Amino acid sequence: MAQFEKVALIDEVSSGGRKSIIVDHTPVLLLRVGDQFYAIEDVCTHDGQPLTDGPLEENLITCPRHGAKFDVTNGKAMCMPATEAVTTYAVEMRGDEVWVGPQD
Amino acid sequence: MSRTAVETATDTPAGFDEAAFEAFLETRDEPEWVTGARRAAFAIFQEKQANPLDPEEFKRVDLRTFRPEAFAVSSKPHQNATFDTLLRSRAEFAGHVSHVDGHSTDADLEQALSAKGVLFGDLAALVREEPNAIKPHLLTRAVTPQTNRFSAWHAAFWTGGTVLYVPAGVEIDVPLYSLIALSAKGVADFSHTLVIVEEGASATLLEETASADADSPGLHVGAVELLIDRAARLQYVQIQNWNGHVCHFAHQVGRVESDGSLGWTVGGIGSRLAHIRQEVSLDGRGAEAEVNGVSFAADRQLLSYYTQQTHNAPQTRSDLLHKQVLRDRSRAVWRGMIRVEPEAQLTDSYQRSDALLLNSTCRSDAIPGLEIEADDVRCTHGATAGRVDEEQIFYLMCRGLARDEAMQMIVEGFFHGVYDRVPVEAVRETLSAAVEQRLSGWSIPKPGDSNVGS
Repeated sequence: MAQFEKVALIDEVSSGGRKSIIVDHTPVLLLRVGDQFYAIEDVCTHDGQPLTDGPLEENLITCPRHGAKFDVTNGKAMCMPATEAVTTYAVEMRGDEVWVGPQD
Repeated sequence: MSRTAVETATDTPAGFDEAAFEAFLETRDEPEWVTGARRAAFAIFQEKQANPLDPEEFKRVDLRTFRPEAFAVSSKPHQNATFDTLLRSRAEFAGHVSHVDGHSTDADLEQALSAKGVLFGDLAALVREEPNAIKPHLLTRAVTPQTNRFSAWHAAFWTGGTVLYVPAGVEIDVPLYSLIALSAKGVADFSHTLVIVEEGASATLLEETASADADSPGLHVGAVELLIDRAARLQYVQIQNWNGHVCHFAHQVGRVESDGSLGWTVGGIGSRLAHIRQEVSLDGRGAEAEVNGVSFAADRQLLSYYTQQTHNAPQTRSDLLHKQVLRDRSRAVWRGMIRVEPEAQLTDSYQRSDALLLNSTCRSDAIPGLEIEADDVRCTHGATAGRVDEEQIFYLMCRGLARDEAMQMIVEGFFHGVYDRVPVEAVRETLSAAVEQRLSGWSIPKPGDSNVGS
């Protein structure tokens, strides 16, 4: 199973920003909300396509195709057409680095 | 424009850039016509790299974690690798051709058949020894480099492969065997299977892929060309059984002339990511093709089929049935198209995909399609996807079966619709055994269990 891996420097991603990373052969989106980092699997649970470019407002990311919204803090689907939560990954901040670990 | 799953690196991958291509050509001992074709294909490959992949074909194939630069063509075969094959020991064969890491390791054929003019051997050798039999057919009208970047990549770098040539009127009753295997880590195999069955001839070719161990990552960018002449018959089976770390891309085309028939069975069991573009073309009056697919996806596998049935002539028939069982967090994609040209009146064409989902975290996408330009045809398509019926399990448990035994029986029954269409007994047994193995040790979740795959 995946161990924690360094994926970014804290300064690399500004608040409201994101970075695409790979964790355990899975595309994952690292997002910064304020001073907190979150990592979600980069796949919309509605149509199975990437969330990569979906707009992020506070802690909600919107799928660019059909408007499903997910809470990035816990992965929960907040509105239709998504009904299933997206997988979230553990995130740790170590010094000035961001580390992502196995899925929650 | 947003980055989508269809976009991958636009640079030619390191192991396959111009320098690597020239180095690869140095290792080949081939006639000029082959080298010339490779160069042309490489130019197309570089051009295609600069453009995004066709979303119709690749939208649902997530290539974001595909790293072609992690693989390279192997310069020599791995010594003494052994393989757990599925088919080899299940039947008597009239000939065997095996490739390991892109290199031919054995090729034999019954004397009686070679005496009749049958060729069965390694493509790399036969382009030198029998160019007249190969040149008109290789990468000319079935698989062509123009199709997409994977076809071009294959056409530039093909490493070898199995050739079966059956002269007119020769009927081969005993099946022939082909093995494509990977042993060393990080090897890219570009095996090409070429089958030419001339007028009135018939043959059966059973092919499988295998990995030497459960962990070595590998890449297969392969092609299959099946060319069936008038009134000829071919049964072709390919069972893909790589380990869970291999990426498999294949462009497979069958062309059938008038009154010819093709029975084509594909088994999808292994690999991390498999995308198979499977096309069947009915080119002459009375031609027919039957395509069967059996897939079992587990863990985080993605098994994708992009199928096309093209009717170019009247009174042709095609029938495609793909059945898929999924569990854990796997994903199966089937994008199927039937295309009927204006002159193909009285076409009778059918395509169907059935998916059985064993838990709630796997996913099946089935997109059938019809493009019909003639007006007197019968074209039907259907797709089903569903969970295992709890009532069926309850019914079987009432009759004394344990829950897992009930599930095994249901899955076996699900696939029987396809097994019944496969005329080769050894293949039915093989598929059945492979499916049973995929199921063993796994417990179907009870209703109300949390939605966690393994």
